Amino acid sequence: MSEPTASYSVGDRVRILDIGKPGHVRTPTYVRHKTGTIERFCGLFENPEDKAYGRWGLPPIPLYRVQFRQDDIWPDYDGAPGDVLEIEIYDHWLAPAGEDS
Amino acid sequence: MVDKLVTDIGGEPAGAVPQEDRDQLFWEKQMIAAFNLLQVKGVVVTDEFRRTVEEMPAEYYANSTFYGRRLDGMIRLLIEKGVLDADTFDKRAQEILAAGTRDHV
Repeated sequence: MSEPTASYSVGDRVRILDIGKPGHVRTPTYVRHKTGTIERFCGLFENPEDKAYGRWGLPPIPLYRVQFRQDDIWPDYDGAPGDVLEIEIYDHWLAPAGEDS
Repeated sequence: MVDKLVTDIGGEPAGAVPQEDRDQLFWEKQMIAAFNLLQVKGVVVTDEFRRTVEEMPAEYYANSTFYGRRLDGMIRLLIEKGVLDADTFDKRAQEILAAGTRDHV
């Protein structure tokens, strides 16, 4: 079982998928289908979606911090135009921006 | 489209955030200490605990408290893992309620 490596680089534009997975997931609905930018690679982590059900969550999977413009997430956002939101998202919830799911 | 988790409330109308300034109760400290110990000893995993909270019915979740959810989630997880026996737990809880010695402070 080979460990996955980072498939995205800082600055890459990514879209958050809605993989339709029931149960414990860590990708809130408000970022799904939204497009953001990879801010950093956080490292490899045991998969919490598996660990929540008594499994080991191995092999570890890549986690990224993704940055969004607030007004890309909230249509009626009335804060400063440059405001951003950052959230950490696991690799399997990401696709390159512009590609169909 | 899978139903939203009860904890997935980002972006929902919330109104003002209630501010409550009070000391942590003794049972709350005790329960958090037990929770931390169970994690350190590897009996429970944070993700499992989060999952048990997410499995609460939406109305029950909405009407519970931070410490109440943590206690409920921990008890459910310990029963699920066979660390606690559900019948023994219920019996003991009823005994304490009946004796009126429940310690809230």
